[in-house]
Amino acid sequence: MNKKTKLSIVLFIILMVIGLLYIIPLMWILASSLRPAGSLYEYANPLTLRTFFPEKLTLENFIHIFTEEQFGVALGNSLLVAFAAILLGVVVNSMAGFSLAKFEFPGNKLIFGLILITFMVPFESIVIPLFLQVRRMGFINTYAALILPAVGNGLGIFMFKQFFEEIPDELLEAARVEGASWFKIFCQLVIPLSLPAVVTVIVMMFLFQWNALFWPLVATHSSKYEVVQVAIAAHRMTEETHWASLFSSAIAGSLPPMLLFFALQKYYVQGITRTGIK
Amino acid sequence: MPLRLTGDEKMFRETKSGLAFVLPAFALLLTFKLWPIGVSIVESLMHTGITGTRTFVGLENYAYLFKADPVFWSSFKITLVYSLIINPLIVLIALGLALLLNTGMKFVKFFRTLYFLPSAISYAVVAVIWGVIFDPYYGLANSFLRFFNLKPQPYFSSPNQALLCIVFLVLWRSVGYWMMFYLAGLQGISEEIYEAASIDGAGRMQKLWRITIPLLKRTTAFILISNTAFNFLTFAPVYILTNGGPQGSTNLLMYESFKSAFVNLDMGRASAISTILLLIIFLISMIELKLTKTSFEY
Repeated sequence: MNKKTKLSIVLFIILMVIGLLYIIPLMWILASSLRPAGSLYEYANPLTLRTFFPEKLTLENFIHIFTEEQFGVALGNSLLVAFAAILLGVVVNSMAGFSLAKFEFPGNKLIFGLILITFMVPFESIVIPLFLQVRRMGFINTYAALILPAVGNGLGIFMFKQFFEEIPDELLEAARVEGASWFKIFCQLVIPLSLPAVVTVIVMMFLFQWNALFWPLVATHSSKYEVVQVAIAAHRMTEETHWASLFSSAIAGSLPPMLLFFALQKYYVQGITRTGIK
Repeated sequence: MPLRLTGDEKMFRETKSGLAFVLPAFALLLTFKLWPIGVSIVESLMHTGITGTRTFVGLENYAYLFKADPVFWSSFKITLVYSLIINPLIVLIALGLALLLNTGMKFVKFFRTLYFLPSAISYAVVAVIWGVIFDPYYGLANSFLRFFNLKPQPYFSSPNQALLCIVFLVLWRSVGYWMMFYLAGLQGISEEIYEAASIDGAGRMQKLWRITIPLLKRTTAFILISNTAFNFLTFAPVYILTNGGPQGSTNLLMYESFKSAFVNLDMGRASAISTILLLIIFLISMIELKLTKTSFEY
């Protein structure tokens, strides 16, 4: 065995040991969600192969959260809120990014500076002030409260701006000479050229909305507006924690972002690392 | 602030269109980000009396917090300790993983995706998963320990271990994500530099210290700054798993602020803590930026 092969094997072993820290918890959760609700505690101790491979596989825990615990409502709410924010968000943030990339007008530097500040201010740090603001404006406990604050996204604007800066001005000038309005140029020329940026922002905003806990927790209190993360957290907080439901809701709640992520990971990773490195 | 490219790009002088395109997003950001911060700062300078009347009290809320509020102090200290533990660890582990994965072997792709996977899972779910695994009676962790005849641990029920458990689950979730940035950075370093160094007789460790790490400075700065800010705002694991306990050992500032606002209904105090957090984040970002900018040389 030559040196290179030996090193590969050592590397593989190291990576696998680390990898176990990832695989084992996930497998256990998956296995536990598929076993009959009662048998979980039975097989927790002592540790056996049965802990990971249940004798009986059942979907009852998944069915339970949809029929008895209205998890479907939470899923629906999260999907609604995510799509709405993304739709509005991609439109306004790309427009802003375009303006800052290509237009010069009085105040553009100031506006850009302010937008940079918002991007440096993480969302969670303003939850309390934002709550007070939205309450003042009168739309606490509505879908608008869950959607609107997330639409404007400094990081998204920044990403779009970086991307648009690479579109040659000559291309735009040519279109202008032909008499096209900026709006037309934007929709028909710029956006089609910018799909990687659009995809990155879509994934970013989706993950952000879908995974949000703190803001939805304070912005709404009626159960009809409950979103996925709040629903999952609520499970954990009850006296009699039903682990089975906890696991199934955690998995069900993690599927959409996982699927999205798997489908688009190439774009997403490219998008964030490209902007991060600059 | 990140460098702004003042390129030779010819910009289009279009006031109407420029404003029209930028205003919707800007208006939203103004309304939902900038304005609330301003108001919050003002709010923190007010006191809400029992009758609901608000009076201007200047920096009294802050003075009170720092001088006469032991709960705040404790929370502040814990948040600092937490920050000092987690941020360097994230950087080190992310870098370590990236170095391990930068070898181009075929199986590397699988592990890369595996380590990155948890970042697609929300913090709430991650907290739930590890809360269950670290359950002292039925959790997987103690099951493993018992299997190997080791002593089962109290994890979240112990004031000594609870914070570390939170550190652990945050690391689990985030190192894979930041590792990607380091991987991108590593791939940007050309082979020739290493070859030249080899010719000069440089060993592995020297290459690491003298070439790799300095060239990754920008990435490290970015990761550190983003993380410092983000980790100061840790909320989900505390809310879901510990409620600040046991014995206040995990009472991070964001949670303390939340308690103030929604349990004690003391908006003044909550706003003050929120503003302090903002200031800390801002300061640390500025410092980290300055430190890494000045010593940055290719």
